[in-house]
Amino acid sequence: MANFFPKWTNWLPLKLVICVGAVVTAIAGGLTYYFTPKYTRVGYEPTQPVPFSHVIHVQQLGMDCRYCHSFVEVASHSNVPTTQTCMACHTQIKANSPKLAAVRESWKTGQPVNWVRIHKVPDYTYFNHAVHVNRGVSCYSCHGAINEMKVVYQHEPQSMSWCLDCHRAPENHLRPPSEIYNMAWKPPTDTTQREIGLKFKEEWEVNPPVTCGGCHR
Amino acid sequence: MKKNLNHPAPEQNPRIWRSLRERENDPEFLKHLQTEFPRGADVYEDSGLSKRDFMKLMGASIALAGVGLAGCRRPESYLVPFTKGVEFAIPGKFLYYATSMPARYGAVPLIATTSDGRPTKLEGNPLHPFSNGGTDSFAQAEILNLYDPHRSKQITEKGKASDAAAFDTFIQGIANGNGDGLAILAEPKNSPTRDRLRAVLEARFPKLIWAEYDPLAPAATAEANEASFGPNIRLVPDFKRADIVLAIGSDFLNPIETGIGFAQGFAARRNPDQGGAPMNRLYAVENHYTVTGGMADHRLRCRASELGEFTRQLALVLAAQINDTNLASVAKAFPESKAAINADWVKECAADLAANAGRSIVLAGPLTSAPLQTLVNAINSALGNIGTTLKAVKTDSRDAASIEDLAVAINKGGVTNLFLLGVNPAQNAPANLDFASLLAKVPNTVHLGLFEDETAKACRWHVPAAHFLESWGDVRTFDGTYTSVQPMILPLWNGVSELEILNKLTGSPSPVGPALVRASFNKVSKDSSDEAWNAFLRDGFLPNSSFAPTQVSLNASSAAALAKKAQPAKADALELVFLQSSSVDDGRYANNSWLLETPDFVTKLTWDNAVLVSPATAKKLGIKANNFNILGDIAEKLDNEVDYDLVADIVEISDGKKTIEAAAIVAPGHADDSLSIALGFGRKGVSALMDGVGFDAYPLRTSDAMFALSGVTLKVTNRDYPLAQTQEHKSMEGRDLVREGTLERYEKDHAFAQSMGMDSHIPPNISLYTHPTLTSKEQWGMTVDLNTCTGCNACVVACQAENNVPVVGKDQVRKNRDMAWIRLDRYFAGEADDPEMLSQAIMCQHCENAPCETVCPVNATVHSEDGLNLMAYNRCIGTRYCANNCPWKVRRFNYFDYNQRPIDQLYWGPLAKKGMADSLKMSKNPNVTVRMRGVMEKCTFCIQRIEESKISRLVEAGASPSSETPIAPFKVACQQACPNDSLVFGDIANPKSTVSHLRKDPRGYVMFKYLNTTPRVTYLARIKNPNPKMPGADHVGMANGTGHHGAGHGEGHDSHGEAHDSHNAQPPQGDTHAPAGH
Repeated sequence: MANFFPKWTNWLPLKLVICVGAVVTAIAGGLTYYFTPKYTRVGYEPTQPVPFSHVIHVQQLGMDCRYCHSFVEVASHSNVPTTQTCMACHTQIKANSPKLAAVRESWKTGQPVNWVRIHKVPDYTYFNHAVHVNRGVSCYSCHGAINEMKVVYQHEPQSMSWCLDCHRAPENHLRPPSEIYNMAWKPPTDTTQREIGLKFKEEWEVNPPVTCGGCHR
Repeated sequence: MKKNLNHPAPEQNPRIWRSLRERENDPEFLKHLQTEFPRGADVYEDSGLSKRDFMKLMGASIALAGVGLAGCRRPESYLVPFTKGVEFAIPGKFLYYATSMPARYGAVPLIATTSDGRPTKLEGNPLHPFSNGGTDSFAQAEILNLYDPHRSKQITEKGKASDAAAFDTFIQGIANGNGDGLAILAEPKNSPTRDRLRAVLEARFPKLIWAEYDPLAPAATAEANEASFGPNIRLVPDFKRADIVLAIGSDFLNPIETGIGFAQGFAARRNPDQGGAPMNRLYAVENHYTVTGGMADHRLRCRASELGEFTRQLALVLAAQINDTNLASVAKAFPESKAAINADWVKECAADLAANAGRSIVLAGPLTSAPLQTLVNAINSALGNIGTTLKAVKTDSRDAASIEDLAVAINKGGVTNLFLLGVNPAQNAPANLDFASLLAKVPNTVHLGLFEDETAKACRWHVPAAHFLESWGDVRTFDGTYTSVQPMILPLWNGVSELEILNKLTGSPSPVGPALVRASFNKVSKDSSDEAWNAFLRDGFLPNSSFAPTQVSLNASSAAALAKKAQPAKADALELVFLQSSSVDDGRYANNSWLLETPDFVTKLTWDNAVLVSPATAKKLGIKANNFNILGDIAEKLDNEVDYDLVADIVEISDGKKTIEAAAIVAPGHADDSLSIALGFGRKGVSALMDGVGFDAYPLRTSDAMFALSGVTLKVTNRDYPLAQTQEHKSMEGRDLVREGTLERYEKDHAFAQSMGMDSHIPPNISLYTHPTLTSKEQWGMTVDLNTCTGCNACVVACQAENNVPVVGKDQVRKNRDMAWIRLDRYFAGEADDPEMLSQAIMCQHCENAPCETVCPVNATVHSEDGLNLMAYNRCIGTRYCANNCPWKVRRFNYFDYNQRPIDQLYWGPLAKKGMADSLKMSKNPNVTVRMRGVMEKCTFCIQRIEESKISRLVEAGASPSSETPIAPFKVACQQACPNDSLVFGDIANPKSTVSHLRKDPRGYVMFKYLNTTPRVTYLARIKNPNPKMPGADHVGMANGTGHHGAGHGEGHDSHGEAHDSHNAQPPQGDTHAPAGH
């Protein structure tokens, strides 16, 4: 009896296993890459040219966010402080600290400090800081407990669905205007965030855009 | 009953047409129209890429993408703050400064938008007394000129790189000398600082020759005014008081010719509903169609060389009618020439002027001869217009030598050091001077210019000039208002300004900041305090600083003496008229791709100029252009392959000594036996963009024929030249898109425009689709007033600057892939020889029931709650279904990565150079996405400005109800640029807003009303105000016919039911455009 299966079929099971294995690995790899927080860079914590610590400045010294990020209430962009802002204090305090060498260098040469950018929305997305902080959204909602970060890292995925979660239900994040820059604020014990949020949402007519044009121009 | 509502079938012989081929109703052309992108579809067939090859390639790309997965990581990016805080600068927020652009007629007052220290947009200054807040297309395109990477960056001596120190030594040598043989050639400019420095120089060097030259300068106007009224007299028109305007060879409604502010008041008087005054009437006499001619109620085609004869006849008739001996004496001094001028036209026009004496304006074009302008002055004087509608002012301008005087001095050997400040005579001086070889006779020539142009190459020194946005300066506008020129940015490439060079020549140390201008300001202004200076800079002008009005009367004898010098027209001779180009002006914008791609007002020609010739003359001369129903000939020429691109004949035009070549196109409405060509094209070896673009007409332009050259001969060659016109694609198909009527008809029925065509009998529409929920308090909408829109292109370039609209190049425009978000459709109506012209601005109509939205498979185009049709670029996958389903054809597709790839390498794929010049990146509006290949885009109603305004309101509201804070007023880019306020944008839900007011205007109509797309753009029908006694008056304002159904629809439908039956009987041509909802 002639061979029913030609000879090349001997290797077929192995080939199949390898192929299927490759496909499964590719799919698993893709999923791990694109569907886990790694893709949205949650936890991204690059080394900065100056080891600036928010813990010292905010937590220990009690500085307000707006001392350095001075235009957050008026501009779309929350500015990173100028070298001048740093030097306002550091000509006297820790004036010779080796950690501040890059700042002093910048002050001397006029070349800016290149801070590594952590939070970045795509170029086709236009996020506006001013409108958020003036309408009851705290820094905390998007950046996490910055005051406890020795080195700043990305706390939230800042993906489109994450944005929309809040735009569809802003009550989960609205706070009294006085507490916007208070990273440690918790709703008073007799009420919940949702209750406070709903109250402000109604009072201030908070109606965040959920159409494309709100962010994409 | 099945509802079957179709487009009306196109007429056999449409009254309104866009191109001659459409008018001829050529069946092949109609077939050509049916395709959405006539040349686009066959690209893949052309490339020989089969589906199988395509799959292979795709597979390879996917594999590559897999390998490069790690490369998908976001690259590290940086936040770079200032080292020291900059005054006023807030990162991410615009700063606005008042400045102005010096221009031929004074200046365009501007507000510059700067973003993080970069000027990114220029807008008109609405506070300036001699501006209505608009701009022209050139001012809008200056942003690109500023950041043009081809600007000159290096001081050169004899073509070799030099440096500032060497040049300083050289100029110091001259400054310390005795000034013998020193000459300066500059552009005419009314700048007090320059005049002051000139006076200093003249005191220091008494033999200095100060010459001024601009190829399009109104030199004859000054001469005529001096002869008529005395030295330094200028006539500033007041169109608010003019009932009748006659324009002779003048395109005064076009801001590029007369400057912004000149025609202000005209548009307000064009309104048929203005209180207390009649609608004005405009007569135009011209050889080629201008935007003024398009606006005119009565237009007379007249050869440029016969304009004098027309004016003479008009003056004689007028003089007889109003018994004015002064006018009669000047008119009789004007030599008669044989010309067939329509005597009835002249008679009735004169009668109308006489009846409105003191309430009329007669204008002559800036390039018309001095005798003609003198005669016009005499007419205005006889009509009592001087002092009423034409304010005479005494200017402070000083006499300068002409370029001819300078040439004589050079030939005598009297010039050793010649400074050429911002001029390019080697390209544009009268050909008889042969200026390039004159330059060789001068030992030391210094050229200051933005580009290394023809003159730079012929000079010993070339110094990069500072752009007006990089330098301090001052200028007077046409009425004399003292206006500031402020720098917005440090010179990008170390350019120096004309003032700095002059200052160096005086031997003074370099000025610090605005010191030179401040010194002039202290002289001009009564108050020289810092507060006054700061107010001057903040507002951009010094209030009440215009030239003082003065009483003038006609000096009949000197006027007659000048009138006598007029050249009689040569009978039956072919003439060549030189025009200002809508794209490159006199050639100075040769490297500006925004302007080159903006279609000409009338010909809709991009990236080229061409000889314009009337249909009759084209026939006579044998010019075969395939837009003139000679498809057969073209087919023969191209081996029986009919190519629907516009391929024009190349013709040779000769004055007997010199010959130029140019492509010829047939221009409806052009005067017979006359040729027109725009100047400034055809420059070679100078500009990266301009090589092989257009045809140079300067070789035929001589000192005695700066406007028109009579007695040329034309020979048709057997060569062809491809042209890129944007008009032929897209047709109205008899649908009454653009509507007009006469004042008489309007007064009988204010709402006549609302019942034209199909609109008179639309059954109640129902939509299959759900209407979007429009919950927002604000609802955005726009109105376009066809009555005041001249079609001047300012909005088109403004939109390009605001919205980062890319340039695609001639080749792509020929494939109908132009990207302009707002286009000006130009229609002709009536006979090909002498039609009416209509212009209509078309942008995305933001339909409430948008047909594009229903066909998008990925929801990339959706509706917002404030009524905007949104386009999410990052969602778009490029199916182009939306563009197919758009009845207005306003959607634009990025076939290539126009922003990243050079336009001559688009087809090289990945091999093309990638990236944008750094300086061009700086020109982009940071608030608008720069689109990539493969996405659709279209007018967004300037959503970035809408959102900015909404956000500002919310920021202001803070912890209070947002509805209690009003939204700050803002204008969209096209609206801001419009010199006539024809475009009005705003909140239609607010009953008090201008736009909701205008939407209720009885002239208002929407296009394709029967499609039930409910557009947010309302057009206000054009009203013409013909003089019933004029010849041809019965054809004026009849583009849509006379009856209530309109010509596009046919007459005699009594009932609606019948009407529909008749439509069903005729299979409609435009069926493919109807949205699926029907």
